[in-house]
Amino acid sequence: MTHPITLSPVRLLAVLVTFAVALLSCQGPPPAPPMVPARDGGGAPADARREDGSLRRVRAAGVLRWGGDIQGGAPYVYEDPAQAGRNKGFEVDLANALARELGVRAEFVQNDWSALVPSLERGTFDIILNGLEVTRPRVGRLRFSRPYYVFGARLMARRDNPRVRADLGALHGMRIGTLTNSFSEELLKSHPEINIVGYEGTEEPYTDCVAGRNDGVLLDDIIANIYGVPKPELRVVGDLSDGFYSIASRPADEDLAQALDRALGRIIETGELERILRAENIYNDRQLGLRTWGEVEQQRMLGLSAPAAGQSGPPGAPPGAAGASNAPRRMSASQVVMFFKGAGVTLLLSILAMALAIPLGLGLAVARLYGPKPLAAIAGAYVELYRGTPVLLQLYVLYYGLATYVRLDAVTAAILGLGMNYAAYEAEVYRAGIQGVPKGQMEAALSLGMTTPLALRRVVLPQAFRMALPSVTNDFIALLKDSSLVSVITVVELTKRMTIVAVDNRSYVLPGLLCAGLYFAMSYPLSIFARRLEEKLARS
Amino acid sequence: MIEVKSLEKIYGDRTVINKVSVTFEKGKVVALVGPSGGGKSTLLRCINGLEDFQGGTIQVGDDVLYPGGYERNKAALLRIRQRVGMVFQTWNLFAHRTAVGNIIEAPVHVKGLSVEAATKRARELLERVGLSHRVGAYPHEMSGGEQQRVAIARALAMDPAALLLDEPTSALDPERVGEVLDVMKNLANDGLTMLVVTHEMKFARDVSHRTLVLHGGAIIEDGPSHDVIENPKHERTKAFLGHAR
Repeated sequence: MTHPITLSPVRLLAVLVTFAVALLSCQGPPPAPPMVPARDGGGAPADARREDGSLRRVRAAGVLRWGGDIQGGAPYVYEDPAQAGRNKGFEVDLANALARELGVRAEFVQNDWSALVPSLERGTFDIILNGLEVTRPRVGRLRFSRPYYVFGARLMARRDNPRVRADLGALHGMRIGTLTNSFSEELLKSHPEINIVGYEGTEEPYTDCVAGRNDGVLLDDIIANIYGVPKPELRVVGDLSDGFYSIASRPADEDLAQALDRALGRIIETGELERILRAENIYNDRQLGLRTWGEVEQQRMLGLSAPAAGQSGPPGAPPGAAGASNAPRRMSASQVVMFFKGAGVTLLLSILAMALAIPLGLGLAVARLYGPKPLAAIAGAYVELYRGTPVLLQLYVLYYGLATYVRLDAVTAAILGLGMNYAAYEAEVYRAGIQGVPKGQMEAALSLGMTTPLALRRVVLPQAFRMALPSVTNDFIALLKDSSLVSVITVVELTKRMTIVAVDNRSYVLPGLLCAGLYFAMSYPLSIFARRLEEKLARS
Repeated sequence: MIEVKSLEKIYGDRTVINKVSVTFEKGKVVALVGPSGGGKSTLLRCINGLEDFQGGTIQVGDDVLYPGGYERNKAALLRIRQRVGMVFQTWNLFAHRTAVGNIIEAPVHVKGLSVEAATKRARELLERVGLSHRVGAYPHEMSGGEQQRVAIARALAMDPAALLLDEPTSALDPERVGEVLDVMKNLANDGLTMLVVTHEMKFARDVSHRTLVLHGGAIIEDGPSHDVIENPKHERTKAFLGHAR
């Protein structure tokens, strides 16, 4: 995952949509390993393959539609600050050159980065051209062209932390931040002793590194140079491995893919690609190999041939790919155990967040109804603010936004964030409950000499709470599911565990079902409990 | 023991109590009668501070209430409420507590009695109102008459110097009225100071020592119950009693 992003509540939604799409279009048999195209315009490959019509379709339409995300997209593809509505970036220039070679026009299609692959599969655009790294899970699903950019997986750490060295073995036991589903993450996974902290955005891992919430960050050099290097507290430790950006197309569109390979070859040969890269100041010696790229290099990049002896150094195959099949894998016992751990995290987060939300919500409701004016106003503002803004945004602000002032660890921030958000909803539930207690109850209590707080505590609140209990239970069920949002601040709970395993195994079916089953197992007993309570209340 | 001076209560632009002054003596039962909207209930609610008022004072024992509500009168109010019990038209038992639970709530949490002592006393009070068999019953399991008798026991549990009863029988089924009136009669015989807002003229005439007739926020007639009810002076009282009988 190589796309610079910043704050994005939409992104998580997209992840979930991705999952849904993937689940629906659950690939049965694995796609055949992509054909390695013959290089160099010249003689058409001597295969007797029938035309699949993809190239003809693009030519007939006169448009090559390419998918990418302009959000935080510099230098890949981003909105020109001088001319809003116009995009620039090296991928814009590359797309235009490719389209020109095919005799068509390039058309950019904006798509949330994390959902690019399912969008390609459903036909929203013809190709992905957006810093999509060649990784093992993707090779099984997409047809990758020859690469158009070679990047280094760059390790950065705090200047005051000399223990971090440019060697995966030296990182054992450390917390290393990276982007979820990225090449770097794959690389880190080859050493299970490393604690990987998965992020959804590119700014956050570096912010956390400065804050000491991780020991180091491993990401593409382009990203590191933009987001990590400008931070004075950080230093570049070194580059661990080379990785590649390639054009991704659907495996069924082999004609188009071969035409793009040929077009890219010409763009590289004429030096046009070098000019494009130089324009964004990202050309370097790593790119030299692109000129002499052949079938052997392509095979190695895709992990289809055994890597050269010594391996792990550049030019690298997708990490851990050595001879591995790209077929969906079965879930291992340890993955199932991790699922249950994920469910435990979800449950624990939800219980602790609710344990915070209930008293806080109660306090807010009482302050709003019985407190002195300023306090009531503050409580009212709190409720409206927290109900009126997305919980995702609140989590971001709490974890990243306030990192300079309060350094919360991810789990604490998750509990606080969810708890404070749900407190606003609980406050409204209790307010309704309190208002539902007949006025005479309060009067009777006061007439017996109770103070207002005592009357509230002994008479009004117990009855209000009883009335609110079914709603509270329902809110808890909602919280169980909302707790999946905390993956944006690096907490690995049930849903996150599911996507991790699904990407590893290249199948969403079993992980998806297991994930759904665990959520259901947690929420169904509660909903029965809530219904019983409602019935009991209706009777008395 | 309760002295009301120039009491004024205004709701918006409507004067509910218009400069009323009246003194209630210890050990006497006083009936407050009159047409609806005359200010009877409001007067009662002002005495234990459930309603704020705009002018005048109310003195109970040594404590004096002034206009300004809870904020201004907090200390006096809490003392007065512990000394003056209140019984409501709709009884207002705590819905989540049993009969005994209702009765011991204030003695335990306001007076600091032990639960054991308070429970012992609660059982005695339930016996006194004829409900020893309903100790563990919840309000929704009891009839209106039973609930009202528990409510009276609850008020008595604080050992009040006076009891304010706000139309205690008005919300009851007719066949349940008698049981509540009997309890009130017994309390009167025991010498408890009571102020009763009521439409039960027979009770007012036979049990109360003194009857006040309120109309339009003013006391239009005040005297020994028998005289007021059998021989009213004021035209309004005559009309009201003729109508009520």
